Amino acid sequence: MTVPALEARTISKSFPGVKALDAVSLTMLPGSVHALLGENGAGKSTLIKALTGVHRPDGGCILLPGADGRPAEVQLTDPAAARDAGIGVVHQERNVIRGFTVAENIVLGRMPRRAGRIDWARARDEAAACLAQLEVDLDPSTPIAELSSAQMQLVEIARALFTETRVLLLDEPTASISAAESDRLFRVVDRLRDEGASILFVSHKLEEVYAHCDTVTVLRDGRSVLESQPLSAHSHDEIVDTMVGRALGSLTVPDRPAPRSSAPALELTAVTTTAGHHGVSLSVRPGEIVGLYGLVGAGRTELARAIVGLERITAGELRVEGVPTRIRSVRQALHRHGIGYVTENRKEEGVFLEQSITRNVAVTVWPELQRGPGLISARRERELVARFVDELDIRISSQNQLAGRLSGGNQQKVSLAKWLAASPRILIIDEPTIGIDLRTKRSFYELIWRLADEGMAILLISSDLAEMITLADRIAVMDRFAIAGERTNSHEYDSMSQEIIRLIHSHAGSHAEAGAVGTEEGIDVAG
Amino acid sequence: MSDRPAVVRWLATPRFVLIAIIVVLVAVLTAVKPSFLNGAFVLAPLITSITVFTVVGLAQMMVLSIGHMNIAVGQMAAFGAMASGISFDLFALPLAAGLLLGLVAGAAIGALTGWIIARTGVNSFIVTLAMSFALLGLVPTVYSALSTGSAFVVKPEGFDLLGRSSFSSVCLAGWCGPAAIPLMVVPVLVVMALVGLLYQRTRWGRELLLTGSNVTAAELSGIPTARRIVMAHTLSGTLAALAGILLATSIGSFTPSIGDEFMLQSFVGPILGGTLLAGGYVSVVGTFLGITLTLVIRKGLELFGVGIETLNVLLGVILLVALSADRVREIRLRRGRAPGSAPGRPSGSTPDRTPDAEEVPA
Repeated sequence: MTVPALEARTISKSFPGVKALDAVSLTMLPGSVHALLGENGAGKSTLIKALTGVHRPDGGCILLPGADGRPAEVQLTDPAAARDAGIGVVHQERNVIRGFTVAENIVLGRMPRRAGRIDWARARDEAAACLAQLEVDLDPSTPIAELSSAQMQLVEIARALFTETRVLLLDEPTASISAAESDRLFRVVDRLRDEGASILFVSHKLEEVYAHCDTVTVLRDGRSVLESQPLSAHSHDEIVDTMVGRALGSLTVPDRPAPRSSAPALELTAVTTTAGHHGVSLSVRPGEIVGLYGLVGAGRTELARAIVGLERITAGELRVEGVPTRIRSVRQALHRHGIGYVTENRKEEGVFLEQSITRNVAVTVWPELQRGPGLISARRERELVARFVDELDIRISSQNQLAGRLSGGNQQKVSLAKWLAASPRILIIDEPTIGIDLRTKRSFYELIWRLADEGMAILLISSDLAEMITLADRIAVMDRFAIAGERTNSHEYDSMSQEIIRLIHSHAGSHAEAGAVGTEEGIDVAG
Repeated sequence: MSDRPAVVRWLATPRFVLIAIIVVLVAVLTAVKPSFLNGAFVLAPLITSITVFTVVGLAQMMVLSIGHMNIAVGQMAAFGAMASGISFDLFALPLAAGLLLGLVAGAAIGALTGWIIARTGVNSFIVTLAMSFALLGLVPTVYSALSTGSAFVVKPEGFDLLGRSSFSSVCLAGWCGPAAIPLMVVPVLVVMALVGLLYQRTRWGRELLLTGSNVTAAELSGIPTARRIVMAHTLSGTLAALAGILLATSIGSFTPSIGDEFMLQSFVGPILGGTLLAGGYVSVVGTFLGITLTLVIRKGLELFGVGIETLNVLLGVILLVALSADRVREIRLRRGRAPGSAPGRPSGSTPDRTPDAEEVPA
């Protein structure tokens, strides 16, 4: 029998008030890609942190192959100890040092030295060799700040592999990168597996899990409900049911009523912006959900920013409810034109982590809550916030709770509640479900449908094609800061996805990477 | 957080700790040196300086709330006081008009500072440092050009009443107030209440805090952040000027050295009191208590005849402790605990799994 590359036995870890891991076991074999699945809060990240010396487990033990080839218990006291033991990790959030170059980030902490000084020439060579081995085409002397998030991730993998690494832990590596970029990542993963490495892979996208993993462990509420089983023995639906703990019915697209009026609430005609858009025309009617699909970097977020006045429109026309408009700030967009913009990046742009729920939600309505000499009625404020907490089913212990203490899904709901509180007529939602589990995702979908039914005009930006095809009434495809085309959504995944890929293709022409898009867009919603 | 009784929550705040220390300190001082309780000669000057420095602390707190600093707080005080002094000395304006002019001068210099910061995006530390140097040169130059002996000494009617009188001159039916409490306390209490109200109950104050918390998110939530930055610095300049004028009324004349001691103290008070250097959280009462603690220590050491050098060493140590406390609190906030919750205790009933930022399934 092969000796496991890493074995975790009955690992437990408690934080004040909660048992995050309860006797979780896991066996990772060499030359294997092991999927670690579970909903948000199931304990996946905690387990990874316990395996890499970030958290000290309260109980259980970790075994690695010893010098004699037999498993031996190890104490991983800190991240450096885990690294020395041959465990590499790429966490969910990017961990690169922005002022440094690619090479410096790769050799970080293990710089080659000569005569007591860092040997930069050798550091660059070794980093370049490491990148070449991964078949990553990056110049080691590039400043990190110039890279995309996906490229930074590859640099982090290179850093993890810089020392002899037998075990590589990847925490949601595909959550925020495009399909083409995921493809490249998987080529690296497959290669490492073929070379005998053992890889732990965390993802919410079951399609890619089935395509690339061979073994599966499912966590639920800090326990392993399925432990190191062959993936092929379990169907897609079985896995989802195990994760959720009950059968999750399939999501049916509701019968959406036709938009109430034919007059668009938001209309762009041949718009050119300082961000680089040219000739963009787009319209959204009240009660309609228009999807804006495209690859990462196609200019979708920038278009949203241009609409709310964060980029300047230099030519063309923006009409809000038929009136030609020039918007200069988010404030104007909201208070004068009823446009809300739910940003993509909730931690940096969407919520105030160190502030209470009340303040996070009520911030858009303070001008309306003022009474007499400018004082805000605390009672009316709490009532208003309570209404939206209730309506969006945000799980909080009290309104005084700090937003930073909420889970990602609930933070996203707070970020949305802030805009709903201001009752906008037009809502732009940018990547609403990144890093959010299946159940919360569904409640988001249902909410977005409901808002449209109530007459809101919704412009939805998403990189998740399955989500787009589920939610939108019409899909506009953006490529390199221009609209490549527009299609009415049939909600048929296979035909729609092909049509959209073809749109990007025909527009892109020589755009080499576009071909990879169709194959890896996983369907995130079960059923 | 909210499910613990309000009293328990309050006991865990830095404010309670400060009160406890102050009470113990005063008790010890009184026991060892009964002269500490001498109304006219010890308590009255002590309370006067607490009053003035509380305003200085609030001036700094204003910009701390948006995550900025005001290194020029002392020089803005000197500038505002100078404007008042000129209006009394050269133009013979009545008390109210002169005071108003001084405050407007402070507001103007603060607004200019804020405008430069908002417009250029240069760090507030740099801009206020530059402003501080500019005023450091300007103020004495004006004094030596416009006054004899580098001081404005003309006092309008009511000037001494504001700065050098105590409640002992307020008599009702033959019964007079205590000599230990200067009249200056009254306007400062009003200012504290107004600042508290600004942050607690008005849109502007809360928008200042959110701007301090996360300026990008604030802009994207429709808060006019540039205007709030100008506002914070304007209020800071106004309060600095007020502190300068109050100090002038208490010493009896306007001199260019007003505000020399303001800068360090202005940070100690708010930070000891729980205001975050990084912005987003302030405490008016805390600022008052922080100032009170340092000045009581100072007065105590003075009574024992300890020299000014030792006082400064002590002030440095206190500032260091306060800054470390600030850092610890900031980290705890980032991890999602409320400021002022007791260490090591989970605050609130929600399972604290923030290290992973994951959701606890319902």
